[in-house]
Amino acid sequence: MQEIIRQLDEKRELARLGGGQRRIDAQHSKGKLTARERIELLLDEGTFEEWDMFKEHRCTDFGMGETKIPSDGVVTGYGTVNGRMVFVFSQDFTVFGGALSEAHAEKICKIMDHAMKVGAPVIGLNDSGGARIQEGVAALGGYADVFQRNVMASGVVPQISLIMGPCAGGAVYSPAMTDFIFMVKDTSYMFVTGPEVVKTVTHEEVTAEELGGAVTHTTKSGVADLAFENDVDALLMLRRFINYLPMHNRDKAPIRQTQDPAERLDMSLDTLVPDNPNKPYDIKELIIKTVDDSDFFELQPDHAKNIVIGFARMEGQTVGIVANQPMVMAGCLDIKSSIKGGRFVRFCDAFNIPIITFVDVPGFMPGTAQEYGGIIKHGAKLLYAYAECTVPKITVITRKAYGGAYDVMASKHLRGDVNFAWPTAEIAVMGPKGAVEIIFREDKSDPAKLAAREAEYKAKFANPFVAGARGFIDDVIQPHETRKRICRSLVMLRNKKIENPWRKHGNIPL
Amino acid sequence: MFKKILIANRGEIACRVIRSARKMGIATVAVYSEADKDSLHVSLADEAVCIGPPPSKESYLVADKIIAACKETGAEAVHPGYGFLSENAAFSRRLEEEGIVFIGPKHYSVEKMGDKIASKKLALGAQVNIIPGYNDPIDTPEQAVGIARGIGYPVMIKASAGGGGKGLRVAFNDQEAHEGFASCKTEAKNAFGDDRVFIEKYVEEPRHIEIQVLGDGHGNVVYLWERECSIQRRHQKVIEEAPSPFLDDATRKAMGEQAVALAKAVNYQSAGTVEFVVGGKDKSFYFLEMNTRLQVEHPVTECITGLDLVELMIRVAAGEALPFAQKDVRRIGWAMECRINAEDPFRNFLPSTGRLVKFIPPKEESVGETHKVRVDTGVYEGGEISMYYDSMIAKLIVHGSTRDQAIGRMRDALNSFVIRGVSSNIAFQAALMQHPRFVSGNFNTGLIAEEYPKGFNAVDVPHDDPAMLIAVAGAMHRQYLSRNATISGQMPGHEYKPGSEFVVRLEDGGDHEVRVVPAEGGWDVEFAGERYEIRTGWQFGEALYAGTINNAPFCMQVERRGLRYRIFHWGTQADIMVLSARAAHLQALMPKKAPPDTSKFLLSPMPGLLTHIAVHPGQEVKAGEVLAKIEAMKMENVLKAERDGVVDKLLASPGESLAVDQAIIAFA
Repeated sequence: MQEIIRQLDEKRELARLGGGQRRIDAQHSKGKLTARERIELLLDEGTFEEWDMFKEHRCTDFGMGETKIPSDGVVTGYGTVNGRMVFVFSQDFTVFGGALSEAHAEKICKIMDHAMKVGAPVIGLNDSGGARIQEGVAALGGYADVFQRNVMASGVVPQISLIMGPCAGGAVYSPAMTDFIFMVKDTSYMFVTGPEVVKTVTHEEVTAEELGGAVTHTTKSGVADLAFENDVDALLMLRRFINYLPMHNRDKAPIRQTQDPAERLDMSLDTLVPDNPNKPYDIKELIIKTVDDSDFFELQPDHAKNIVIGFARMEGQTVGIVANQPMVMAGCLDIKSSIKGGRFVRFCDAFNIPIITFVDVPGFMPGTAQEYGGIIKHGAKLLYAYAECTVPKITVITRKAYGGAYDVMASKHLRGDVNFAWPTAEIAVMGPKGAVEIIFREDKSDPAKLAAREAEYKAKFANPFVAGARGFIDDVIQPHETRKRICRSLVMLRNKKIENPWRKHGNIPL
Repeated sequence: MFKKILIANRGEIACRVIRSARKMGIATVAVYSEADKDSLHVSLADEAVCIGPPPSKESYLVADKIIAACKETGAEAVHPGYGFLSENAAFSRRLEEEGIVFIGPKHYSVEKMGDKIASKKLALGAQVNIIPGYNDPIDTPEQAVGIARGIGYPVMIKASAGGGGKGLRVAFNDQEAHEGFASCKTEAKNAFGDDRVFIEKYVEEPRHIEIQVLGDGHGNVVYLWERECSIQRRHQKVIEEAPSPFLDDATRKAMGEQAVALAKAVNYQSAGTVEFVVGGKDKSFYFLEMNTRLQVEHPVTECITGLDLVELMIRVAAGEALPFAQKDVRRIGWAMECRINAEDPFRNFLPSTGRLVKFIPPKEESVGETHKVRVDTGVYEGGEISMYYDSMIAKLIVHGSTRDQAIGRMRDALNSFVIRGVSSNIAFQAALMQHPRFVSGNFNTGLIAEEYPKGFNAVDVPHDDPAMLIAVAGAMHRQYLSRNATISGQMPGHEYKPGSEFVVRLEDGGDHEVRVVPAEGGWDVEFAGERYEIRTGWQFGEALYAGTINNAPFCMQVERRGLRYRIFHWGTQADIMVLSARAAHLQALMPKKAPPDTSKFLLSPMPGLLTHIAVHPGQEVKAGEVLAKIEAMKMENVLKAERDGVVDKLLASPGESLAVDQAIIAFA
């Protein structure tokens, strides 16, 4: 008996070495941690329950029958992050370059199935060279099995991908269907086709980093939500991120203690909006001064910067923040910002996270680039997301809320629960100048007359009271009491329950 | 006494004057430019009158507008503060003609002291020490060389109308005297429209020490001791103190008496300052000039004398006699003032403008009537620092029984002065406050130039006691973990338990093992065999981490930046990570990344609107060529190429709002 127990320890020891010390050293020399080291950092110390450590591939072609390494290139199991359960898979680049085999995929599928059964997030730490070519279609089948589960889990349990190495070809589509993608700078990349193929097909010369590095995907494409300096930063920040998320779609948004008083006033917000309507200000100052402990976990900070999204807490409970950013393109909505905002709103809705929307939007971005790019359909995504959403929705209009963009940004008409406006709000079809030029077209040649009309329009419509008179705004509030008013509204809405009509699924304008 | 006075100034000094007037039961009228309509002085005053557009020459410097504001509001007197119209004899004469009292010296006193050469002659007549020199305008370089030889090198060549470091040259030999004269004359003509130049002895190891005088309309003049203002950066005062650590009682008395004699010679009837240069080698002192106004640094005199100079100015302007004589003037303890400027010490003191996102000055403290910590300011959190005016946004004044105590208090006060949104010189002030030369009192006006020849850098302020930073970072991290342990949805029976052993990693690479355990009202940190009992009520989100370490009070400023804790203390800024031992081990495997090479980029020096890009990709540019224009605070800033190169890519487009350091153009 003793001998058998000893053998188990030996087997485990061997499995833990993955592809062997030499490959581990190579992984380290690339500035990367091993699959198990990563899990160690992600989970609470000593909580990892590993499954399928002894799983091996079944391939016999091309000499694979002789090279079997326990775990088969992916470490799977569950553990806790701050005491809360998560399922995790971590691809092991030291074993067959992390390539996905049928068995490898089965391991991932197994933990995903369990995560669905018990209602816990799935976290993928991706570091894989792609499909295990020796296995052929078996590996491809494995990918598709994972894809199918990604889709089934979508909106049921949170799914997060942390790209920590290569992720190319079909492999990208698993992370693509998860809720959030984080990347590590300089050591990770994602693309459908690599630089060599790009060169052959389109004759473009591009490096892997430029084509699909962390910076590319967090600035240009918006594929990834955040980029981190290295593995350790990424994993420790991921722990912090998980704190914001509920475990599953029937769970409430988590609450963490705070000492920040709900009634805290901030007088400096009274001067946040400049007198000059064309002068920008930083909406993040409002966010930071409103939420608990000034703690705002921003997502996609460098992509579509005209809209700001991220998680924060109010009285300890997670909220999603969506805000137009007047500092960038005057905060107008365009294709990228609509997609960015829309997807975030839908995540919050799926996982019972109340949404706070700060509005300062002059409208949709005009131009051929936008129209040809399909701003009609993309802008509709944000509209659709807000309209479909049933979680508590609180909206604060700080300054401009013009035209269709006013409607889109969680307006009363889209079932906004509590809609506030600051006294500086201007809720109108368009800015005074544009409006006057249309209404008083006949005065176009007379600048003095036009200026007088503009002043008249401004006095009449460039304020929150016209909307207030119709009940589109529930109250006009002092900027300094924004936190207090939002906190009270959230408490009032704690047991909000509305349901959309039964349907197979809506048809969001994709 | 006046029923209502107008303050023809802005910022902290306007607020300061309002404070004294209010105490005396006098109503106050503020004037403001359009840029200042939301300023503190406007809201503090009983009434306020807008006097025009932002530029001073269209508002605060327009005598007619001030006078009209007086008439409109019925103000009987005008306090000019400092700067603006405070030393404008024509203005005070106009006021007199209009029957409005100028709270300051009579216009004839101002006029006589206003001209450097004339004032020297006057001083000579009043038996005041004059720097050896030639006090008539000089015409030719040859004449200048002759005079310089007569005085003996080194000599200083100065413009009669000069000031603020403009129109000033030092010559150590004939050639330098020849060249210096010519360039000084040109500069004087361009800068002041007055090319009169004179020459005097250059005092070595000079210290700037000034005597505060106060006169009334009844022939009384007293001196209120001295202030030492030798800590200067490019002739701008940075730190002032009273008394001077350099003077002995005999010198002090001699200087005071000469200052009084000079004031009497011009029938001086208000608060004024007689500036002397004092030789650091021999305590010889020479009259420089008289400032016929209230000085920025007057609070240090108020601290050591217990007097309210503004109140006294108002009283003597209303015709009252000084309520005390020379023998009654007290001198208690030591006072110090730091000028808090909106400027970035790490970027060559570039003025910083914008929104004051956070502004939490240290708590004012006083014992009876005496201030221990005093903050004179004209700004507030959420206010805007505009580019139209002086960058000084506050004065931090402390008073202690000894110089060491005052320095200690200043260091504490600087620690708790929170300014965000615009840069401030607090780190620089903190560095000076612990500089051995400053602490010893052995310095002269060259201190800053000598000690920081390459400007001010973060490495100039190593922390005295890194253990404090380590202990506090450890405690903060433990508090963070404790809070995490309160999150809902944990697995019953498997809740998260924060550990107690950590590695504190300083930015410069040092790793320190600490043990942190919760204690009543704080945390006990063990580090390197020492125990640090930190007691604090700090909560996340608060900028000030205040409390005690082993019963000694302390205050740091903290920010969480991702995984790092940034701590500001005693001028040091430290980015610290706190990790488990395992994470620290793994983190050490992470590659060290060199900071991005920014020399290949044109970076935005300030936040602003990109209005124009003058180049296109592939274009060759020469050093000095215009690359782009940024509009910041309504001012156009032209960005020029620092060196020759070829434009690779445009990274921003016109119309875009730029953050500071945002890349605009990449060079090949």
